[in-house]
Amino acid sequence: MTVTPAVEEEEGEAEAPKKGLSFKFPYDETEMALIAGIPAAIITIFTGLPAVIKGVGLLLALLWGMDSVRKTSKYGLGTGVPSIGVLGTGYGVIGALMGLAVVEYGAMPALGIYPAVLVGALFMAVLGLVSGYFSNNEKYIAMKIPRLERAMMELGMAGTLAMLLQFSIVTGTLAFQSVVDMVMETGVIAFMFIFTAMAMFHPYNACLGPDERRERTRMVSIEISGLLCIILGFAMLVLGTSPWGAWDGLSLIVFGAIVWFVFFRKFIKACMDECWETVGTGLIKTLG
Amino acid sequence: MLQVVLLFAWMLVIAFLAFIACTFEDIESDIGSQSNPNSQVQLAAQVGQVNRFFNKAISGEPLSNAMYCVVAGTVVWMLLVRLEPLVPGATWKAAVVAIPVGVGVAALIHMIFSTTAHCGRVSAQKRFEQPIYLDVLYGHLLPIATHGFMTTFCITSIAYIQSNIGTLSGNPQLNHPFALPLLGFIWGITVGSIGSSTGDVHYGTEREFQDRPFGEGKRVVYHGKITRYADCGIRTQKDIAGFCAKFGGPCTGMTFGLIILFENWRTLVGMLLGGFLPDLPVFTASGDAAAIGGIVMGLLIVAAFVVGNLVFVKWVRKKCGPFVGV
Repeated sequence: MTVTPAVEEEEGEAEAPKKGLSFKFPYDETEMALIAGIPAAIITIFTGLPAVIKGVGLLLALLWGMDSVRKTSKYGLGTGVPSIGVLGTGYGVIGALMGLAVVEYGAMPALGIYPAVLVGALFMAVLGLVSGYFSNNEKYIAMKIPRLERAMMELGMAGTLAMLLQFSIVTGTLAFQSVVDMVMETGVIAFMFIFTAMAMFHPYNACLGPDERRERTRMVSIEISGLLCIILGFAMLVLGTSPWGAWDGLSLIVFGAIVWFVFFRKFIKACMDECWETVGTGLIKTLG
Repeated sequence: MLQVVLLFAWMLVIAFLAFIACTFEDIESDIGSQSNPNSQVQLAAQVGQVNRFFNKAISGEPLSNAMYCVVAGTVVWMLLVRLEPLVPGATWKAAVVAIPVGVGVAALIHMIFSTTAHCGRVSAQKRFEQPIYLDVLYGHLLPIATHGFMTTFCITSIAYIQSNIGTLSGNPQLNHPFALPLLGFIWGITVGSIGSSTGDVHYGTEREFQDRPFGEGKRVVYHGKITRYADCGIRTQKDIAGFCAKFGGPCTGMTFGLIILFENWRTLVGMLLGGFLPDLPVFTASGDAAAIGGIVMGLLIVAAFVVGNLVFVKWVRKKCGPFVGV
């Protein structure tokens, strides 16, 4: 079983607490949520877009989800980190189904615009807020995790947007019947579920420790999104659903491969630079 | 009748594959210190014991195994969709190509995730002066990937057999209703949970506490010492694989194999008793008879195990003396 080291409060936060939104790089969590959430929601509505743009939206949604997992788990959840990620993905699947159930209201199938799916995201936001309230409130479960309500709300929204974007990538539309035929009956939904969960919780679980750094952790999430895009691109090619033809799937594969390569390299380099020491081989310290 | 015999034969094949899958799963998790060992590996540097261990903190075992199996299942499904029309009447040829390729892709992804987990965890322990040893990183990736390959291969084969079991035994009605990636997901979760809960002999009484009376613990501060010295030289996880392959791995495999064997056996016997085999009737009251037969068989098996375990533990206590500290 994984044991969490006691994670200390980030020094940067204690030194200079930010007031309001500044949008200076690196973005803080609220800014990241705005930057990621709004484009992801817009891209979700327009299903006629090329897969690469949906891939960018997916990357942003997963990054937002990872940030929420990190926010929730920073206060000493050890084995809880994967659980929070899976919880977020579970929220996502429920929210996506909820959105698909009301998808026909206000839809313009000729243009591929389905605004009603965002009802699912809003529903999950409310549900996340309520469950966060119940888990944190002293009258009920009393977990007393700071900012849990907000993190749960964001988790639900990010998970829903990520699942909907993947449905939209693979089926090329968000019509209920085609999602059931292409995603659920073929079993691709299992792949989407586990990779969404991995992109959300693996970064923080892998980088857990007293010297964890947010920027480094976020690279892992982007890298996993790249892998996800590669396999979704192949699934698109096999199912042949895109209105743009084979180029759509191929471009998603190339996009995923580039994103994966760049950020994997960057992450490993960052780790090797920032760890205590990178040595080819050597004995452990007491042996000299 | 041949069809029923074939069904039972495929069930035995599945149980055998499950045995191999879980054996390798346990050893793989020991090499990567993903299971129980993980806490000791993480704590070791923090309590001053710098070590040469690989820290494969992808996630809990159930989820990570589900991931490898789902990736393999998805790639296999994609290849089968494309390859099966090329060989009409002999779809097994497509499977023979598709399953190893899909599992190979899963092994590559396994290696990628292992690398990020190890590098991330070690660099997050900077203040405890734990370096990244490159030979540890490179040297453990292949053993991890190959053991993971065996697990994923067996699980994907099980999923393939299950989703085509009707076709293989002569009655396509009996095919599993779930798609291959979904079956891979369920089996991956199962193999991971059983590998996580069973086995793991290395960090229990077997090595760390072997000079102690059974059941007696040590302070957490001393747990890190398990990562230091082996029989000759500094301990790495390759030593642990050799140690655990003798007992822990096969023991875990046996647990999983027996679960699969008895579970499928009682279901098939129940179906046979309820008149469901060799031909599936239209769903009527005979479904109840099949379910009741299966459940009664299951209860009998559980009762037999409870009695057998009690007798066995009594015999062991009598032969090897009382447990100290109880």
